[in-house]
Amino acid sequence: MDNFTIVGQKIPKIDAPVKATGDALYIQDIKVSGMLHGKILYSKYPHARILKLDTSKAETLPGVRAVVTAADMPPNFRIGVMKDNPPLKSGKTKSIRDEIAAVAAISTEVAEEALSLIEVEYEELPGIFDPIEAMQEGATLIHEEVKSNILKMPWKLVCGDVETAKKDSAHIVEDTFSTQWVTHCCMGTSGCIAQLDASNNLTLYSNTQIPSLAQNDFIEALNAFGYKNRRVRIIQSVIGGGFGSKLDTYAYEYIAILLAIKTRKPVKIIFSREEEFFATSPRQCTITKISQGCDKEGRLTFREIEMILDNGAYTSWGATTPSVMMLPISSLYKVPNIKYVAKCVYTNNTYCQAMRGYGNPQATFAIESSLDQLAEKAGIDPLEFRIRNSNEPGEITPQRFKITSCGMKECIDEVAKRLAWKTKKEHKGNRGVGIASLIHVGGGARVYKSDGCGTIIKMDDFGKVDVFTGASDIGQGSDTVIAQIVAEVLGIPIEDVNVVNNDTDICPWDVGVHASRTTFVAGNAALGAAKKIREQILEAAGKLLEEEPSFLDIKNSIIYSTKDKEKSTPLGKALRKIHYTLGGKMLMAEYFYDPANENFDREFKGNLSVSYAYGAHGVEVEVDKETGQVKILNYIAAHDVGKPINPLLLEGQIYGGGLQGIGYALGEKMIYKNGRLMNGNFLDYKMPTVKDVPPVQAVIVETDEKDGPFGAKGIGEPGLVPTAPAIANAIYDAVGVRIKDLPITPEKILKALKEKQGRT
Amino acid sequence: MKSYEYHKPKTIEEAISLMGSLEDAKFIAGGTDVMVLIKQKKISSKCMVSLRNIDGLAYIDTQNGLRIGSGTTHNTIDENGHIKRYYSALTDATSRLGSKQIRNVATIGGNICNAAPSADTACPLLALDAKAVIVGQNGSKTTSLDEFFLGPGKTILSKEELLKEFVMPLYGENTGSAYIKHTRRNAMDLPILGVATRITVSLPDENISRCKDMFCTIDSISNILERLKDEGVKCEDVMIAMGVVAPRPMRAKNAESVMKGKIVSSELFEEIGNIAAGEAQPRDSIRGEAWYRTEMIKVLVKRALIKSIDRVIRPDEAFYPERLW
Amino acid sequence: MKYEISFLLNNDKVTVEVDPVWTLLYTLREVFGLTGTKEGCGYGECGACTVIIDGQAVNSCIFPILEVEGRHVTTIEGVASKDGTMHPLQKAFVNEGAIQCGFCTPGMIMSAKALLDAKENPTEDEIKDAIEGNLCRCTGYVRIIDAIKSVSKGR
Repeated sequence: MDNFTIVGQKIPKIDAPVKATGDALYIQDIKVSGMLHGKILYSKYPHARILKLDTSKAETLPGVRAVVTAADMPPNFRIGVMKDNPPLKSGKTKSIRDEIAAVAAISTEVAEEALSLIEVEYEELPGIFDPIEAMQEGATLIHEEVKSNILKMPWKLVCGDVETAKKDSAHIVEDTFSTQWVTHCCMGTSGCIAQLDASNNLTLYSNTQIPSLAQNDFIEALNAFGYKNRRVRIIQSVIGGGFGSKLDTYAYEYIAILLAIKTRKPVKIIFSREEEFFATSPRQCTITKISQGCDKEGRLTFREIEMILDNGAYTSWGATTPSVMMLPISSLYKVPNIKYVAKCVYTNNTYCQAMRGYGNPQATFAIESSLDQLAEKAGIDPLEFRIRNSNEPGEITPQRFKITSCGMKECIDEVAKRLAWKTKKEHKGNRGVGIASLIHVGGGARVYKSDGCGTIIKMDDFGKVDVFTGASDIGQGSDTVIAQIVAEVLGIPIEDVNVVNNDTDICPWDVGVHASRTTFVAGNAALGAAKKIREQILEAAGKLLEEEPSFLDIKNSIIYSTKDKEKSTPLGKALRKIHYTLGGKMLMAEYFYDPANENFDREFKGNLSVSYAYGAHGVEVEVDKETGQVKILNYIAAHDVGKPINPLLLEGQIYGGGLQGIGYALGEKMIYKNGRLMNGNFLDYKMPTVKDVPPVQAVIVETDEKDGPFGAKGIGEPGLVPTAPAIANAIYDAVGVRIKDLPITPEKILKALKEKQGRT
Repeated sequence: MKSYEYHKPKTIEEAISLMGSLEDAKFIAGGTDVMVLIKQKKISSKCMVSLRNIDGLAYIDTQNGLRIGSGTTHNTIDENGHIKRYYSALTDATSRLGSKQIRNVATIGGNICNAAPSADTACPLLALDAKAVIVGQNGSKTTSLDEFFLGPGKTILSKEELLKEFVMPLYGENTGSAYIKHTRRNAMDLPILGVATRITVSLPDENISRCKDMFCTIDSISNILERLKDEGVKCEDVMIAMGVVAPRPMRAKNAESVMKGKIVSSELFEEIGNIAAGEAQPRDSIRGEAWYRTEMIKVLVKRALIKSIDRVIRPDEAFYPERLW
Repeated sequence: MKYEISFLLNNDKVTVEVDPVWTLLYTLREVFGLTGTKEGCGYGECGACTVIIDGQAVNSCIFPILEVEGRHVTTIEGVASKDGTMHPLQKAFVNEGAIQCGFCTPGMIMSAKALLDAKENPTEDEIKDAIEGNLCRCTGYVRIIDAIKSVSKGR
């Protein structure tokens, strides 16, 4: 099966035409008969006692069908990773996004008016908005029942002996780096429609990234509501952006279900853009103390990191990002001795979630900035320093990752070449170059007990196939990649492949679209199912053509013998013969692929992923020393992706991830002041526009990943992982100031320049 | 949103008389600010009086100076070659206000009447010495724009008055102007601060071509400044306007008076930058810190002046040079 | 109080009773069922709701419905030919990989169309000017610029 005709080609996304014509239906666009509209009332204060909550006026407003509060929720029902989040809050509110009541009405306008009629009296309480303050002895407890603001989720990784390594190091650097809250900015806001049938089975129209896990969450919710053993069906709309934001189930979904139960009508809740900003969960901010050392030759000897994460008032997947941070901490470059401790701390701030990269960008910012400091101390060119310590195929890292394919050096080489590193390094004048590398999971990530995905394929009488996959498409193009794989294996045009990926009643289980795993895991599942159905076709065709199946192949929907040119038949014709005969059959196949990766053991060690993705970003900047503004003159993003299945989509992931990374590095920040979001709109939250795009080159470095479908590895997240440190390093190279706190604003640069000037 | 009556007068007189007769009425022009405020429930007037359908409110008249009707959209101004050439600071502002979609709809009158400290067209209009013509029930009056703003969102307009047009003097070949909008993003942004300058210069004829050469070849500000003082470029007249550094867009009048009549030099720029910074009263906000705004006044006043001078010296090339300034 | 207005919607004359508080976007989506035009922010800050009125791209989410009276409105649904053939811009967005999640796409295409209708061969800067008010979180804009360029060259 060499000489692929579909895999490896730049094939346009198969869902692009309906999106280009405006026909694609997002959650905003879906209507269900009899549907009501839900709206949520949030706490007025980040920390307050609710003294009075009177909904009577709202209830009597014409058009209002239900008003609900915590009293309507099953007692003790909690959601989230630590089960610390009641979907509707009573007693004390703990953050500005605390949901305290909700309304279902005949229109959004009526629902909004009803919210304004709900009377709430608060006693405002002093809040804790700084994780370090929250860790102090005697600090007010955010959750009184858990006795401590430090989350009972201790993250600790120890490999080798850091203390001894420190003594043996020729050079050591130590510094502290911090990162900010940033948010996904999905262009389509969050939303759902909850609908119960007469038997209390639930259908939820949703833009979730985790249909199968969400299904479980909602079954649990129905149980709590007293509807035991009911069915839950998740129907995904076209999803207007994910980036990790939809990896959990949220209060608004449970509130929609509650309102549907109360009204016996379908209830739709769609977030406004303000809600999308303040009531969804951003990337967590971190404070990272890092120390690294190397020997005289510049080989890394140890890496030690202590990290504090602001968990916010409740717990979602944000609290588990240290598990992924361990990946670069233990295995970005060869480092024999590692120590990492992270604490997640409750505060009255917003709570955090997964966002593209899942902790990796925060950790990599600290590691790669610090690495430049170490290279400087050791007197070695930063690029050379990285090559010296680069990961290699066949390596087993201290955290027990088995590195199979690894194109890290090649990526660094590409950066060096395309950026003209050596020449630029010498040329100054407020210009500078910087580099940073990345490691990320590229072959699934076993964070749950299963990392699997199922696929079912059925074939019609004309050689067209329907592929039912658990994988969710959030715009990245998994449907296209799956169609390419199936079409390639079956020797049919891609137009003959229909991918169904949005309905838990039809599609098999999948753990969700996260961890850059979909091409790898869902791709392998589709590959397995396609191979099975191919075998069935060739087996049956062998009988029809009187040929050994092993000599048969399919191309352009023709089954033919590779030995005897006379023996061939159109695929459709063969399929009809197989079908319309006594004891005939229609071809179907299923396959469940669960990669051979490992859950971490108690020490957080184990081969998390079957393969690892690598990359290196290089950037040339110019710094305006009078204003502190940074201009990116050139940006090289080189990625080891295994074998690309679709370079068009792959480069799209690199461009898109890269610009998100640039936003993270230079401008984006959710400004929270005493628990309140001050810039929850697109004017004040500086997501990059088209005019902020620098000249950028996406470079694909091919390696062959033996376990990947057609040799592929994941690429969803890596694009933004090394961006911020690459830029920070370039700024340092340009003007000699190192900004250790993201985002790197003109103010910070100017201040640092003035301080530097004062020193000299 | 509470519903409202919506009136679409056809003449200025009708609009003014409607404002007089209607209770709780508000003008709406392009609506790009007003509609947002309505949606945010910050405006809940019972009546809206639209200015979009009035004949004779959207025009650009370049005979004998410049007159711009208040209903003229930013995009229309942006596309006007005469304004770009002789009132460049205004084009600098209209080309970077909001987005294309906003510029297609938003009017210059709306931008000014909204009276945001960050209003993009305010600084250039101030620097270009624009007068506002206000029409009321008892006829019209003319006021300098400097007196038009009272504070954030506040102007001298009474409810029954309408801002009809802006009038600017005729500027000759020896006058250049520029507006620098200092932003975090390169589009869709409000200024951290903005500075507009207009300068009229004279210089010895024999220096003109050398000066031109200098602007064409040197690409660093410090190098230009180094050489500029030897060219004998004299400031005959100057106006400097600053936005987002005080409750209202303001002129740096002390800086202007110090500069007038002097030969420009690096030292002079530094001096007037410092004076201008001293005249401002910037605040800390989520959009920028006061100390940074103060620092930037010094830098941007200098850069805007150099850009203005450049436009006198190289009128055909210097509209949007790909330079740091 | 309701008002009756008439305007051209994708070349069809329509007459509709509206509340003055409605925006054009609300009317398109809720009255005419034209859900191709998206609401990304509601305040004119993201461009997802862009439509073309009399040749100019505008944010329909802050455009008062009564101002549409007598005007010509084109939405994404009016861009393809009557027989369903996609407009060259739509084809280019598909083929160049300019679409990921697709939520910004209709607005982006409308902004690009307004540009190309007025100017057949725009420069890259003019392309960026035209779509600077259309936010996209997925693509990094690179392929979107490519797609628009490819159409302007092809004309």
